Amino acid sequence: MRSILTALAATTILSGAALAEAHGPDLTGTLRIVSDMSNPAPRAVMEDLAERFEEMHPDLDVELQVIDREAWKTQIRNTLSANPPDVVNWYAANRMMPYVNAALFEDVSDVWEEIEGLDSVKGALTIDGAQYGVPYTYYQWGVYYRQDIFEELGLEEPETWEQEIANCQVILDSGRKCYTIGTKFLWTAGGWFDYLNMRTNGFDFHMALARGEIPWTDDRVRQTFANWRELIDMGAYIDNHQNYSWQEALPFMVNGEATSYLMGNFAVAPMRDAGLTDDQIDFYQFPAIGEDIPMAEDAPTDTFHIPAGAENKEAAREFLKFVVSADVQTDINRGDALGQLPVNAQSEVDEDKFLEQGFAMLSQNSPGGVAQFFDRDFPAEMAALGMEGLQEFMVYPDNLEDILQRLEQARQRIYAN
Amino acid sequence: MFPTPIQKRSPAAQIAYQSMLPLALLLWLLPLLAVMAFSARPDADFTTGNYWGWPSSFEGVANYTLVFTSEMPRYLLNSFLITIPTVIGTIALSCMTGFALGIYRFRGNILIFFMFIAGNFVPFQILMVPVRDLTIDLNLYDTRAGLILFHIAFQTGFCTLFMRNFIRQLPFPLIEAARVEGVAEWRIFVYVVLPLMKPAIAALSVLVFTFIWNDYFWAIVLTQGPDTQPVTAGITSFNSQFRAAYHLMSAGSIVAALPPVAMFFLMQRHFIAGLTLGAVK
Repeated sequence: MRSILTALAATTILSGAALAEAHGPDLTGTLRIVSDMSNPAPRAVMEDLAERFEEMHPDLDVELQVIDREAWKTQIRNTLSANPPDVVNWYAANRMMPYVNAALFEDVSDVWEEIEGLDSVKGALTIDGAQYGVPYTYYQWGVYYRQDIFEELGLEEPETWEQEIANCQVILDSGRKCYTIGTKFLWTAGGWFDYLNMRTNGFDFHMALARGEIPWTDDRVRQTFANWRELIDMGAYIDNHQNYSWQEALPFMVNGEATSYLMGNFAVAPMRDAGLTDDQIDFYQFPAIGEDIPMAEDAPTDTFHIPAGAENKEAAREFLKFVVSADVQTDINRGDALGQLPVNAQSEVDEDKFLEQGFAMLSQNSPGGVAQFFDRDFPAEMAALGMEGLQEFMVYPDNLEDILQRLEQARQRIYAN
Repeated sequence: MFPTPIQKRSPAAQIAYQSMLPLALLLWLLPLLAVMAFSARPDADFTTGNYWGWPSSFEGVANYTLVFTSEMPRYLLNSFLITIPTVIGTIALSCMTGFALGIYRFRGNILIFFMFIAGNFVPFQILMVPVRDLTIDLNLYDTRAGLILFHIAFQTGFCTLFMRNFIRQLPFPLIEAARVEGVAEWRIFVYVVLPLMKPAIAALSVLVFTFIWNDYFWAIVLTQGPDTQPVTAGITSFNSQFRAAYHLMSAGSIVAALPPVAMFFLMQRHFIAGLTLGAVK
């Protein structure tokens, strides 16, 4: 176990504010945290959090173990059942459902009664009226585009589907592709479906589809695919996208062969690393399609949970409250830390072109609701089959009928239990 | 039957051979060369799509420095701490089992021998769940000791087969002579048989070392995190939440591959001896 007891007397940056907060009950013993924040920057955030929490509670020994993010996705089952720590990282919505159903996550509704400013994300942590974790960060999705190419072609950020299509035609005529995408690992196609379906049929319909309440063969679902097909038939997407990971699809945008990328905010960092300046890239909200359908967004949320088998639940609860407090939220989501959006509405967002736009979009221009993402909102099995179908549709749009029948069969089987 | 040595073929065949060989070699080594080249590239090259062109800058030093200042040294240390005890344990056990099965004639000898061999025919993947449960029950889950014990148990089967057959080929009169002299059985093992087994021990050590060093499956099943995991499982820790760090993974892979490669070149003679030991009588 990585004991951070030995860590140097810590953080001068925010310790003033943190120490001024109420310390709550005197916590003792050991708090074991298993985190999947394994990138350098998030890792520093997590280590800092553990350090500060330990400082606030002198009698508490905080043990932090950081596990590779991908590895954690398979290890969590093992860890929760075999060797449960006191706090773990995971994801909201359907991703936490199996662990809630298996009674491996603690009900933390009592913690939610004592925290403020998290109303917008509460739904994603709620199952059957109880909350099973707290969020600590999320990020927006949207269309990232080459501003310089848009200017060269005299294009404006589109607000309607007609404008989006018209823009795309101009881009295609200039010898470029409209959108880069890499569907090798399927989920990127899920992003497109989420937006097209939420814009065509609305957030509530989309979530009902995720819950298995609507057949895949429904005409409204077909309309979503028909809208999608407009772009596919235009040749809007790069060729052979089924061979690329999302990362391998980035060069097309960086090199100007494609102009836009429907992606999460994490795409900005590698674009900047590759030499694109903030004058060359910009962001717009996915345009409206149907009339009078309130805008809704994808904003995947990462979370903290208490395993049901935890030993120091009192300290774990305090830690959860600590993490979601407005100050801590502001601090850990800064551009040089997680570089994402704080979940607490009372937090401040860092001065960054994309974070500011994202925060504004999610807090003011997403009245329909906030979805987690295709593979987090749909049950795992349905999501896996669904994304395969979406990828197939993007490559062979004529197979649509076949795909929808297959997905409908899967729906009837999967949601039956 | 036997292929004609290339020196005796026609000049045309010789020229074709000589020109194709480097080409085949290059093709064969291409993945490895790519990994080497990637390890010297900056991160940005992967975002601009510059995989095969001239690197925009040479970041070899920076990448390898990053590898050595990350968790990698710890994973490497774990690899050594897992591999070396396993090699010692397996060799020690299989020397003894090989001696017992090779020298003594007792009822059930063949049966026991078959059981050792039969273990090798079990695809180890099907043991995943029971072994994981076992290590949890023994409180050995996520410890190096658990991984070492399992590796020893699983490798001993193959090594016993190897050792027993090797000992069978030793001249039996040597042992009989020692017995006539009234030497205790354990002394015969230590002073007569063990010295004769040195080539087998060397060959097996090299083999087992590379097997265990390259193990990935059990490393991810039985251990978690940098405190216990060996380097094969640790390389992916360079990947971040959204991005694969190809340049760092490449550099890390090369560092991780060095010990077995060094082992191979240092002990090449024994390695080949080990593969062909017993192939010809």
